[in-house]
Amino acid sequence: MGKLLHMSVFSQSFSPCGRFLAAGNNYGEIAVFSLSAALSPDATDMSQKPILTFTAHEGPVFMLLSTDTHLLSAGNGEISAWSWVELTKRVVLRVVPSICHFVTFIVFQDNSLIVGGGDNNIHIMDMETGIFKSVLQGHTDYIHCLALKEREGEILSGGEDGAVRIWGPITYIFLVINFFLPEECTRPQFGKWISCLATDSDWMLCGGGPSLSLWHLRSMSPTSVFPLAGCQRDAMFYQDMILAVGEGPHVSHCLLGGSVKAQIPCTSPSLNTLALNLSSTEHRVMTVAGSSDQIDVFTNFSYRAFSLSF
Amino acid sequence: MSSDTLKKRKAKVIRSDGGTPENKRGRAEGEQSEEVEERRRQGCVHFVTLKKLNRLAHMRLKKGRDQTHEAKQRVDVLHLQLQNLLYEVMHLQKEIGKCLEFKSQHEEIELVSVDEFLKEAPAEISRPHLTKEDPHQLTLARLDWELEQRKRLAEQYKSSLCSKEKILKGIELKKEYLGSLQPGLQAIMQASLPVQEYLSMPFEHVQKQAEVARHLPPPLYVLFVQANAYGQAFDKNLTVSISGDVDEAKALSRPPEDSQDDESDSDAEEEQQNTKRRRATVGVQLDDKRKEMLKRHPLSLCIDLKCKDGSVLHLFFYYLMNLNILTVKAKVSTSADLSGAISAGELLNSESLLNCLYASDHGQETPNPGNRYQFDKVGITTFADYVSELGHPYNWVQSLGGLQFFGDAPQTEGAQSSLSASHMEATMKLLRGRLQSRLALHKQFSSLEHSIVPVSSECQHLFPAKVVSRLARWTMMSYQEFMELSFVQHVVKAGLMKETDLFFMATVERGTARLQAAVVLNPRYPEITPLFSLSLLWKGERSGRTDDNLRAMESEVNVFKSELQGPRPGLQLLTNQIQRLCMCLDVYLETESQVSDGSEGPREFPREKMCLRTARGPNRLKPFKYNHPQGFFSHR
Repeated sequence: MGKLLHMSVFSQSFSPCGRFLAAGNNYGEIAVFSLSAALSPDATDMSQKPILTFTAHEGPVFMLLSTDTHLLSAGNGEISAWSWVELTKRVVLRVVPSICHFVTFIVFQDNSLIVGGGDNNIHIMDMETGIFKSVLQGHTDYIHCLALKEREGEILSGGEDGAVRIWGPITYIFLVINFFLPEECTRPQFGKWISCLATDSDWMLCGGGPSLSLWHLRSMSPTSVFPLAGCQRDAMFYQDMILAVGEGPHVSHCLLGGSVKAQIPCTSPSLNTLALNLSSTEHRVMTVAGSSDQIDVFTNFSYRAFSLSF
Repeated sequence: MSSDTLKKRKAKVIRSDGGTPENKRGRAEGEQSEEVEERRRQGCVHFVTLKKLNRLAHMRLKKGRDQTHEAKQRVDVLHLQLQNLLYEVMHLQKEIGKCLEFKSQHEEIELVSVDEFLKEAPAEISRPHLTKEDPHQLTLARLDWELEQRKRLAEQYKSSLCSKEKILKGIELKKEYLGSLQPGLQAIMQASLPVQEYLSMPFEHVQKQAEVARHLPPPLYVLFVQANAYGQAFDKNLTVSISGDVDEAKALSRPPEDSQDDESDSDAEEEQQNTKRRRATVGVQLDDKRKEMLKRHPLSLCIDLKCKDGSVLHLFFYYLMNLNILTVKAKVSTSADLSGAISAGELLNSESLLNCLYASDHGQETPNPGNRYQFDKVGITTFADYVSELGHPYNWVQSLGGLQFFGDAPQTEGAQSSLSASHMEATMKLLRGRLQSRLALHKQFSSLEHSIVPVSSECQHLFPAKVVSRLARWTMMSYQEFMELSFVQHVVKAGLMKETDLFFMATVERGTARLQAAVVLNPRYPEITPLFSLSLLWKGERSGRTDDNLRAMESEVNVFKSELQGPRPGLQLLTNQIQRLCMCLDVYLETESQVSDGSEGPREFPREKMCLRTARGPNRLKPFKYNHPQGFFSHR
């Protein structure tokens, strides 16, 4: 019971079919929930419990990512792949102790995994063979978040050092664009780290210590700054809205113009991760989780429908 | 009479004669007068003859009568004689009958048979020459013989009586002698007690106890036997004794119907009292009924558990007869004087000392479901009101006495010693553990109140050498005060605390920062970790809900019992938790100062702790884990 009280959920990922949700917590466990059971009309309390829980890593599971066939999880310096078909069978992709404590990644085209690590570098790994293809260096502190501009094939990374770097395509000669953030964004009382990044072709969202702000990438200037109180840890573009979560027990819906349209209350005092199940039509939900053992599920994004719990 | 009639007729005749002659006077007066004269003369002669005849008749009659009379008399005399004789005959016959019927006593005496008599009797008595012919003599002889035999036997009897008297006197003397021996033996037994103790074989004590134990009610007897057995087999520091009034117990073991009848009679008498006072008597009646229902058996069991440091836990077990449950009262006596810890007042309180020995065993309600109906009859709403007076009816006490009540699974009632045996060891261990943990807490509290966190040498490796934050205050809180705190609501909502827990407030200070920690201490400490909830006052107020780092500190202190509990039996848990809290506050404050303020001044808390990195993960948690012996902090 005490363990549940002190649990934090750090990562979530939907299955490729969209019917399952995997969530990772700070004790190194991954729990798989059945969305179809929880969303069905005759759902009971039991359907809000995980159908499967297993220990994936020794340390917290900071990152979960789903490919077509596998669930990738990152823990203390190791990246593991779990087959969605047979979830208890682990395939350790790579153990890189130098990456040590914190890892985040995204999947690039042509089967590469882009891993941003605690050793201040971005590694590009081939998923088939598990060999690191190249290293992108430049950050001076660990990397919080990565974003991908698919069309141009560019990688954006934000780190603890407060810099957002855009890494160019193909040859990976990076274009360093260190943002010196204008005053309206900076919040010195919090710090300068960037903990969330999202892109939508020409637009970029970044936030963290500084306020969440929307940038136009071609001109490299902020177009709007969102007046959100806490530090945002995850944000994404959705249709013509911006969804952001972070400190504070709410999901913020913001308009592109810079106004905060709504703040939907959630159960956790602060939120770490936001996920949208876009791959499935009948289970189109948004789930958020953070500093508690509850994962809030939103069927209609304006209010919380129910919570799954570990 | 015939003479009279004769005379009457004559008179008539005379008249008529007189008449007729008168009629005829006239005519033949002359002649007639002669005739008349003649006739008169005839008539007179006739008259005279008639009289003579009459006289004669009368005389004959008289004679006849006299003769008859004489004859009659003679006959009467003879008749009387006959009667007399007959009477005499009858009398004689009766006498004869009486004589014949006379049973002399001698026939009732059982005489020896003739043959025996003839054999045994001496010749003088039996006189065979006479008695052979004459049955009368034979009987006489037999009676004589009988008489003599009886005289002889009577003499024998007297002499036997005398000897018996003498023997009785002899017995009396010997009895007195033995009686005087008894106190002598007692004296010897008393004198041997020190020897028994010296040899640690307290036979007499054991015997006495066994004697008294026979009068114990069954559950207490089971408990007595099991506790004795356990004490002898495993645990030398457990002693069992019986206290109470044995005579009352003996009185109780007699049929109880008499006492019940008396009670109903006395009730009836009370009802017949003054009607004005009826209300008072009903109330008093109910009170008496309640007291009767809650009556304790006069004998009680006392079990003493001694611990290594000399403190003793005294447990007094009572049996409530009508309710068929056991209750217990606890008392702690310590070798050293316990004082000085104000916050520890509740720890050794006998009311709550044994609370929740097993999970959720509060001992406020009776475990016997049948008591519910008994209580309804006498108007007792809850047993909790009487608990302080009668003792706590914990479930483990019932199990020790072999009493099982219907719980979730069907079980049988009745005192079973197998049940008691299986529970005894576990319960004794728990009791010891409870006492030790409470005493340890008591000591720790008195040191905590002086702002010193006592860390033993075995646990020094958990903490760095220098911990700057210090414990400023340690106070006890009540349940209401705890519920009013804003930063503990998550604990309340999660249902991790109950009213029976103990609540404390620790204040840790460093510089301008003040950390308040509300502690929930479960009675089953150290099995259940105390739960800390934090609130930090430093440049604004933050709590574990608003600040992820404070939440991480809470989890650092609450979750890692295996690291913090120290050497067995884990009594260092609370003090280690507090020390770890101080250490984490140090790290928090020192790494927090790294945030660059717009306006820079000297940092309040200079970085002294070695950390590999100060932030990790999306919520940028601080490194709270201390690594020994390298002495740096890292993330978990």
